[in-house]
Amino acid sequence: MEFDGTFGLEDVTTEEVWLALSDPIMVKNALPGCQFLVEVDDPDDVDFDALADEAAEREDPPTLPEADPEDVAERGLTEGGHYAALVQVGVGSVKPRFETVVTIDRREFPEMDASGQGSASDSSFEMDSGMTLVETDDGVDVEWWTEADVFGRVAQMGQRVINPVANRVVGRFFKQIQTELSDVGGGSSGLRDRISNFI
Amino acid sequence: MVAPDEGVQSIDPDDVDAADILGSAIERREDPALLTGDAEYTDDIELPNMVHVAIKRSQHAHARIDGIDTSDAEALEGVLDVITADDLDVPGNLPTGWLLDSLEQVEHPILAGDRVRYQGDALAVVVAEERYVAHDALTRIEVDYDRLDAVTDPAEALDDDAPVVHDDAGDNTAFDWEIGDAEKTDAAFADADHVVDLDVENQLLIPNAMEPRAAVADYNPSNDELEVHMTSQNPHLHRLLMSGVIDHPEHKLRVRAPDVGGGFGSKIHHYADEALVALAAKRHERPVKWTARRTETYLTDAPGRGHDTHAEMALSDDGDILGFRVDTKANLGAYLSTFAPAVPTYLYGTLLSGQYDMPAIHCSVEGAFTNVPPVDAYRGAGRPEASFLVERMIHRAAKALGMDPAAFRRRNFVQEFPYQTQVAVEYDSGDYEKTLDLALDHLDYDAFRERQAEAREDGRYLGVGLSAYIEACGLAPSELAGQLGAQAGLWESGLVRFHPSGTVTAYCGTSGHGQGHDTTYAQIVANELGVDYDDVEVVEGDTDEIPQGMGTYGSRSAAVGGSALVKSSQKLVEKAKRIAAHQLEAAPEDVEFENGDFRVAGAPDRSMTITEVATQAYLAHDMPDDMEPGLEATSFYDPDNFVFPFGVHAAIVEVDPDTGEIDIEQYVAVDDVGNQINPKIVEGQIHGGVAQGIGQALYEGAEFDDNGQLVTGSMQDYTVPKAEHIPEMETDSTCTPSPVNPLGVKGVGEAGTIAAPQAVVNAVCDALEPLGVEHIDMPLKAERVWQAANATAATDGGEE
Repeated sequence: MEFDGTFGLEDVTTEEVWLALSDPIMVKNALPGCQFLVEVDDPDDVDFDALADEAAEREDPPTLPEADPEDVAERGLTEGGHYAALVQVGVGSVKPRFETVVTIDRREFPEMDASGQGSASDSSFEMDSGMTLVETDDGVDVEWWTEADVFGRVAQMGQRVINPVANRVVGRFFKQIQTELSDVGGGSSGLRDRISNFI
Repeated sequence: MVAPDEGVQSIDPDDVDAADILGSAIERREDPALLTGDAEYTDDIELPNMVHVAIKRSQHAHARIDGIDTSDAEALEGVLDVITADDLDVPGNLPTGWLLDSLEQVEHPILAGDRVRYQGDALAVVVAEERYVAHDALTRIEVDYDRLDAVTDPAEALDDDAPVVHDDAGDNTAFDWEIGDAEKTDAAFADADHVVDLDVENQLLIPNAMEPRAAVADYNPSNDELEVHMTSQNPHLHRLLMSGVIDHPEHKLRVRAPDVGGGFGSKIHHYADEALVALAAKRHERPVKWTARRTETYLTDAPGRGHDTHAEMALSDDGDILGFRVDTKANLGAYLSTFAPAVPTYLYGTLLSGQYDMPAIHCSVEGAFTNVPPVDAYRGAGRPEASFLVERMIHRAAKALGMDPAAFRRRNFVQEFPYQTQVAVEYDSGDYEKTLDLALDHLDYDAFRERQAEAREDGRYLGVGLSAYIEACGLAPSELAGQLGAQAGLWESGLVRFHPSGTVTAYCGTSGHGQGHDTTYAQIVANELGVDYDDVEVVEGDTDEIPQGMGTYGSRSAAVGGSALVKSSQKLVEKAKRIAAHQLEAAPEDVEFENGDFRVAGAPDRSMTITEVATQAYLAHDMPDDMEPGLEATSFYDPDNFVFPFGVHAAIVEVDPDTGEIDIEQYVAVDDVGNQINPKIVEGQIHGGVAQGIGQALYEGAEFDDNGQLVTGSMQDYTVPKAEHIPEMETDSTCTPSPVNPLGVKGVGEAGTIAAPQAVVNAVCDALEPLGVEHIDMPLKAERVWQAANATAATDGGEE
């Protein structure tokens, strides 16, 4: 299955969006149903139960605009890095809990490609994704695409069910990013200038 | 929908004279229970202390299994057991009931161990106190898959670089089969003035019985008796096969089909699920129930059709068919289902002569293993594929020669019966022109052609499609079936038993699941015995009650099962006549039997009714010497030949090339099914069959993605036609009694499904002929029709 789209974020700079979308904490908070998103060493050997326990006890550090841009850049996604996530999403009559591992294949401002797979008890997926940030008159367009192979119960429901779910997840994700970033440019702390220095 | 003033009117049986009961359109006696909810389906069965199973199915179409972790599922409260392949200690291999010389037999385990080959392949069984708990536990079973590439199309599966489904059948070839005379056919093509050819896909269909498959098993450890109530079209066959699969003695296994909500072939086959339910019952010594969810039926009910075919027809300038050459790749799915090898071979290749005198035919079929569910018989089974191909080719041939399709058919019809085809079978009887003439009358064919020409001038696209179909029903005789590879006989048993009070119970080894056998068999037996229709009860679908049986499929029940009841009734009348003669003090040859009365010839006052004889037979106070008491008879009827129903279905359509939409303006079904036991039931079978045929023509089709994932896995994604999709049908019939069986019947259960698709497709192609459309593969969804209409139009425009 192929999905793609463009999401426009207003009153933000390309650098801010880049930093925000590189922040695993920000991404985790914005992604509906995401319980954790952490870097792992070996993508083939991930103990999701242990990671879930750790995540439950951990208090997340602040994200932009409260966070120090330096800290955000420090913890940001890296090319070649592997990230484990636990994501539960309702698709039609089922609500599979996907144990997901994503690898950042390419990361060159303002473009990023990732691949990954996720598995639940009766469904799974494999995907390649990418995004490009494009500056516009009043903000930034995030152009994104995903090619996914979907298996099992979720696949059986077909694109008819999956498409709206994908659109809903992506829509909520970017709306949340927009909300988080809306204060970045508005403040007088010089945050915007500091962020641009990290790119 | 037939308008109220048309069609056959139902009659109350009380309003029919006893002598006229056979052939009357009496109301179906099974309907009140079905309509009020009094019917008992398998899922309605509740037994004390019953537990439930749910089946873990592969999410991948093709994968190695590196491990299955059931510990989380077993830990769930209410779960009694999780069974995997490692836990099985029975043969557990589903057998194939039809063998071919070249057949590659592969293992078909009831639980996959280290490899799954289709999405839905069973991996584990959860046994739990509650049904919902069993299903919840499924999500806690961790399966370690190593996914493999999948292939779902038969032609692609036979390519050299295709993923291998079974390592033992490395080229994915299940069999390589042929029929007819290749040399003679080559010679016919060498002499031909014209050759037309066509590539046809006959798409894979999902059966969609209203009631999903289900089973309830109950085991008694004290006497080792195992009862399995299940959605079966053939309980005795299921008993025989299951006794081997689960290693349980056949005589201690009872298989019973309660009311069954449709099958269309999908409840013939022996699947893994029912055997797993039986094993769970034995393992836990508690009653066990399983009912498939609708999504499971989509994944596991054997789909039908699935052919990729290239066909060529050799023609003379005069309009004669000289030869027919067919090359088919048939999809068999991941394993060989029960009768799978027969469907694309003997049930297909033998029908390729259609209604036509074809002097040379050759057909080769390659069966391919793929990563789709095991394919098997679905309403019509091989015969719709043959009839569709023949009638599409006939349409193409007529157009190529510039002849009217009706006239071309008439010229090539078989005229003399019996007729020996070039593909093994001999047609019993027929009058093909008669059904064509009647269909053309209904259409007002010549007037339509004028109307069509006028409409074209107005930019409207009307078309007429004819379908002169033939089918073979009541597969027989057993000796021939055995020579062709059947691993079962194809006779039928019938037991007719008088009770001492004079009422009758008839037992038949067929197993109706919507066909109305309780009514039609009672009509047959009442007619033979001359007893009141209401005094005859019919029993089917229980291996403990019925001597033996082969089941209901292939439109065989009336022709074979009904005939077995006739034979038994006749034996019974013979015995009754000797008892009556003895008590009337006459010689048996002087006693006549008519309408239930035994009379001494020439002395009309000396008579006994057959019910009085029955009472005497059980009193046994005054019996002829050496005659045993009682009055019942059993027959095993093995017919001499198939029977060959035929007819002409026709559709008039209007197609909108701007939207691709098809409007069926008129649908005519003229069928000759021989003598009709109950014309209302015949009409109902035609209606249902045509609806399913139109479903294939316009809406239905299983679709898989590149990974073998079924993407039409629910009723929202797979269009079963609804009432609004089905046009009004005009039904009519002729009657050419079959000489093969004592009832002169030919079978009607599949006729509509076989006849309808090509009537619709021919009509659409006829409508779009001015736009250069020669063929569109089914289903004729608006998008496909639009593309066909506009692709050709665009090309033509470009050239100009």
